[in-house]
Amino acid sequence: MISIVAQQVRRRVAPVRVPLGAAGALLIVVGSLTPWATFFFGYPGKVTLAGFPGGARLYPLLLAPAAVLVVVDLAGRRRGGLTAALGAVAVVGWNVLAIAKDGGGFGAVAYGGWLALAGAGALALALHSLPADRPVAESFGRLPAPVELLALAGSLGLLLVVVVVGLDIEESSRFVSFAAFVGFASAALQRLGGFAWLQSVMERHHRVTIAAAALTALAFPFTQQGSSYWLRVFASIGVFAAAAIGLNVVVGLAGLLDLGYVAFFGVGVYVGALMGSAGRTTYQGEWPFILVIIIGAAVAAVFGVVIGAPTLRLRGDYLAIVTLGFGEIFRIAANNLDWLTRGPNGIAGVPDLALGNFSFGDTHEVLGFSLPAFANYYFLELLVLAGAIVVFTRLNDSRIGRAWVAIREDETAAAAMGINTWRMKLLAFAIGAFLAGAAGTVNAHVAASVSPDSFTFLESILLLAAVVLGGMGTVAGALLGSAALFILPEKLRAFQDIRLLMFGLALVLMMRFRPEGIVPSRRRQRELHDEDGGAGAMSAPPAAPVAGRGAS
Amino acid sequence: MQPSRFWRYPALVVVVAMLLAACGRDAEEGPTGGGDNDGEPLKTVKIGVVAPLSGGLSALGAGIKNSVDLAIRQANEENKVKGWKIELAAEDDTAKAEVGAQVATKLASDSAVAGVVGTLNSSVALQVQPILARENIVMVSPANTGVELTQGTDPNNKKRQFDNYFRVSTTDDVQGPFAANFATQDLNAKNVVTIHDKKTYGQGLVAAFTGQLTKNGGKVVAAETINPGDQDFAAVLTKIKPLNPDLIYYGGEYPEAQLLTSQAKAQGIKAPLMGGDGIYDKTYIETAKEAAEGDYCTSVGAPTEDLDSAAEFVDSYQAAGFKEDFAAYGAYAYDAANVIINAMAKVLPDAQAITPDLRKKIVDEVEKTSFDGATGKVAFDEFGDTTTKVLTVYKVTNQEWKAAKTDEFK
Amino acid sequence: MTQFLQQMVNGVVLGAMYGLIALGYTMVYGIIQLINFAHGEIFMVGAFAGLFTYARLPPSLQANPLVALPLVMLTAVVVSVGTSLMTERLAYRPLRRASRLAPLITAIGISIALQEAVRLFYPLPNGQLGAKSPVSFPRLVSGANLELGPVTVARVSLFVVVVAVGLMLALQAFVRTTRTGKAMRATAQDPDTARLMGIDTDRIIVVTFAIGAALAAVAGVMQGMRFVQVDFRIGFIAGLKAFTAAVLGGIGNITGAVLGGFVLGIVEVMATQYVPRGSQWKDVWAFVVLIAVLVFRPSGLLGERVAARA
Repeated sequence: MISIVAQQVRRRVAPVRVPLGAAGALLIVVGSLTPWATFFFGYPGKVTLAGFPGGARLYPLLLAPAAVLVVVDLAGRRRGGLTAALGAVAVVGWNVLAIAKDGGGFGAVAYGGWLALAGAGALALALHSLPADRPVAESFGRLPAPVELLALAGSLGLLLVVVVVGLDIEESSRFVSFAAFVGFASAALQRLGGFAWLQSVMERHHRVTIAAAALTALAFPFTQQGSSYWLRVFASIGVFAAAAIGLNVVVGLAGLLDLGYVAFFGVGVYVGALMGSAGRTTYQGEWPFILVIIIGAAVAAVFGVVIGAPTLRLRGDYLAIVTLGFGEIFRIAANNLDWLTRGPNGIAGVPDLALGNFSFGDTHEVLGFSLPAFANYYFLELLVLAGAIVVFTRLNDSRIGRAWVAIREDETAAAAMGINTWRMKLLAFAIGAFLAGAAGTVNAHVAASVSPDSFTFLESILLLAAVVLGGMGTVAGALLGSAALFILPEKLRAFQDIRLLMFGLALVLMMRFRPEGIVPSRRRQRELHDEDGGAGAMSAPPAAPVAGRGAS
Repeated sequence: MQPSRFWRYPALVVVVAMLLAACGRDAEEGPTGGGDNDGEPLKTVKIGVVAPLSGGLSALGAGIKNSVDLAIRQANEENKVKGWKIELAAEDDTAKAEVGAQVATKLASDSAVAGVVGTLNSSVALQVQPILARENIVMVSPANTGVELTQGTDPNNKKRQFDNYFRVSTTDDVQGPFAANFATQDLNAKNVVTIHDKKTYGQGLVAAFTGQLTKNGGKVVAAETINPGDQDFAAVLTKIKPLNPDLIYYGGEYPEAQLLTSQAKAQGIKAPLMGGDGIYDKTYIETAKEAAEGDYCTSVGAPTEDLDSAAEFVDSYQAAGFKEDFAAYGAYAYDAANVIINAMAKVLPDAQAITPDLRKKIVDEVEKTSFDGATGKVAFDEFGDTTTKVLTVYKVTNQEWKAAKTDEFK
Repeated sequence: MTQFLQQMVNGVVLGAMYGLIALGYTMVYGIIQLINFAHGEIFMVGAFAGLFTYARLPPSLQANPLVALPLVMLTAVVVSVGTSLMTERLAYRPLRRASRLAPLITAIGISIALQEAVRLFYPLPNGQLGAKSPVSFPRLVSGANLELGPVTVARVSLFVVVVAVGLMLALQAFVRTTRTGKAMRATAQDPDTARLMGIDTDRIIVVTFAIGAALAAVAGVMQGMRFVQVDFRIGFIAGLKAFTAAVLGGIGNITGAVLGGFVLGIVEVMATQYVPRGSQWKDVWAFVVLIAVLVFRPSGLLGERVAARA
């Protein structure tokens, strides 16, 4: 029924869409430059003043250029443009509601807000009435190399700017506007084929991409003006992401349901804490850190083999419950074995790493910038993360990776083809555990403490969510998922109380509407959406990972 | 209708124009500054609170936060710290050590923070201490009882752990033995069963209690543990029933204790249950009802009815209209906040900004604290522990906690 | 000896609860191969729903267990069944043909969402919203303990066992004799053939969810009665142990679930009594048993009844 109404609307609007679109864009511009709130009551972004798009008013303004799609013929313009316009509607709408709520009624909303809202709506209508899209081309013409490289550098730089700006935003409501803006803008770009083009550029200039990405990541600490806080968060994200990539091997590649994965991570953390000669441990020892990482990862891998050997024969669901059980056993054991783990107190005060004279706990001066202590850990974590990524991508492209895909799709057929399924599954388990253990060992120093409370079932679910929601089978997905799961709770502090509720609902909704995750591997997306009917797989533009190679 | 390619160029112009419009002049908005200080705007200094504001212990955490808020409001009204306005920066540690570390880092990176009241749980404090110590931010705890936080892990070689850490609550090695003495002398308890919930607080308390009890000639006939969050204690209680204990000593908090005592009485175990300040909450009595009659607990300081400063606190708290009760640690948190405020009042008035030097000076001032607070005399010894060693034993009489004995622990 | 018998009684009571909840898991798994993670929360929601009704009864009715108890149970059942059916319709049914991972994660998401919903929005009797700490629950079956020889049995515990066993027997009879029961067994055995035989499998699945939820609701109310308080977290660990019981007895097998429940309850209690420091590891025994069973006898004690999934 909805589609019939939509058709009617489209037919009516089509003849006037150019002036409608122009009017819409104009209204958005005017609206962004005029007040949205009638009086000052502390709403962020200086929204009572006119003449400049302060606060969240910037975002609809930045989305307004989508209006050109009404007249310029680009592939995918209707979906892309509509997404952008809807983004503008969303941002303005959210702010109008927030202003009304905080200001005590819709009287607090000034004419600028209404103008912008009307404009966004008009623009959406205009774009909606465009004729159906041409499919976005899968391959693009080549531009001269310097232009492409410039585009590459530009997009990475833009990413850095977005991240830094986003992190700086203090108020939760403005962050929501920002996040909505980034989300809709990215989706619009993707539908216009922007990411597909970027990806082809990246594939052509492989090494430059990797170098540039690494440079961007390395540049981040220099933007922090000596504040440790976000570096600490990112170091934690990095560790979490490394573990998530390990889980991606188990769940994403081999298709094994592991609900107790956090136990492997925990083993690594405890090994790191115990061997890091912390003051309050039961075991004192000074070991070179390289050795500690290897030992931590190895012990975790051993646990993986021990747990996997008897249980990998089981049906998938049973495996899930058994691994959940092991996760809980680990937590309870850590809580009870006082002589080893110091029980519920955990181990605190794990000292900073020191390699020779270089202590990780000090601030260092590099190139005239003062890097706070956590920058050191951040770099270390980048290293570990890079290692995990390398392992993952190598495996993905190898015989082992293909064996895993075969097992995942049809175990009986795989066995018939001569694959030793049990051994392959065990290998996946062990490698996943190894990566988790390595990440955990580093975390012992990043978090400087460990206690059994950190290894609850919820933690395993968070790791799983990072992989599944971010995108199974891709590196970018795991990174995105991990980052989101860490940053969002920080930034949306105003919603802290309902945070878990939102998380639960998000899981349900994602599984219903986009089970392959935000940045999926193409194969996965086809696997999961083929069910929606033949046309579905054909008309959807292929998803493209933003950075790195994960598509297969 | 296919628009011609001609439109591309004007479109480009329009887009650029719109982007240029995005740059604009900046301006001030709203009423300027805030507060009245002979016309000069007040500078802002923050007092942080790290406590569990969500989860099972949120009632205790909320009490702490509100009490600190009360102290801050009063200080601002009386302009106690000249030239400065105090703000509350409350962070939720969800009673988890890792979260505590994260929020502590957040507070430590905030240059306006001059002091922190927290934490509730000793295990969280272990993580928070070093982080705040790095920035020399003074930390005053209203509720930590773990001995090692101030004296280290070796009882024969006591060493102060952090110069910036103080606490107004007493430690386990005072509360536990105090309870043991009461048990031996006043209750004539010879055979005792101890139960704890494996957390830092409960375990430490029971260990200290056991040591003193054995010294007094008593005997611990069984040492059991339960898990926080458990509801069914039938198995444990059946196990200890034939031992016929005179007393059950419990180290932990009231959610489990209240169930433990009702199930124990239901099974026919006659011994009363005794605990520390973790069970000193009216929910305990409300849930266990008749089963709670005759149970004991210990708490630091003299009963609030006996102290004028305590009565004042209770009145102001109720007048302020907070949603939650001040709970077991509200009064301590109030005193902790005032410790910091008094130190700030001495150090901040002429300062322009919060520098590391200034923070150190605040720590030094806190060392010298001495005043009468809602919980009694507030002063610190060389380890940062409170010098007040007055404790009270409360007994559930007629469905209320009534003070049974107040004494000083020697 | 007395202790042994008393612990046996404790174990049987505990096992009765596990068994009731396990039935829901086992039936749903048998029919659509889904581990309904949210089932533990259905149990919890039932308890809170019953409490909600009780709190709003006039004191005269509150004091009268003959009226209060049925009302409380009824509300619990209605709310639990409603919640369960809603999750089936909105979340599980669209994913029926999807991979194994999606419904599992959905179930976990629902479990988290339900827990939080109760924690944040349950209307307390004093007007506040949110059951953030344990909430008092009425005993409803009060009276002196029964002394049966050397063992003491609380009246409410006896009530629990009687009701649980009664319901389990009723369910057995239902599945064995009625048409719907037979249809359930047929669908569990081979859904496609059942459909060919004219059975409305969708409706049967709905019925399965409903029965499971009703049993869990009763268990929830009884849990509240036994411990005189309920907390939003009781669903998680109870659910886990109940699922273990179901697997232990043979998934899909109703008698197996009951047997598994009792075995698990007794094992847990005996371990606390006889294993040194056993109480610390109380929750672990369930998993140890589960792993042992799955490794040595994957089809469970009484054999599983699940259709082979393509």
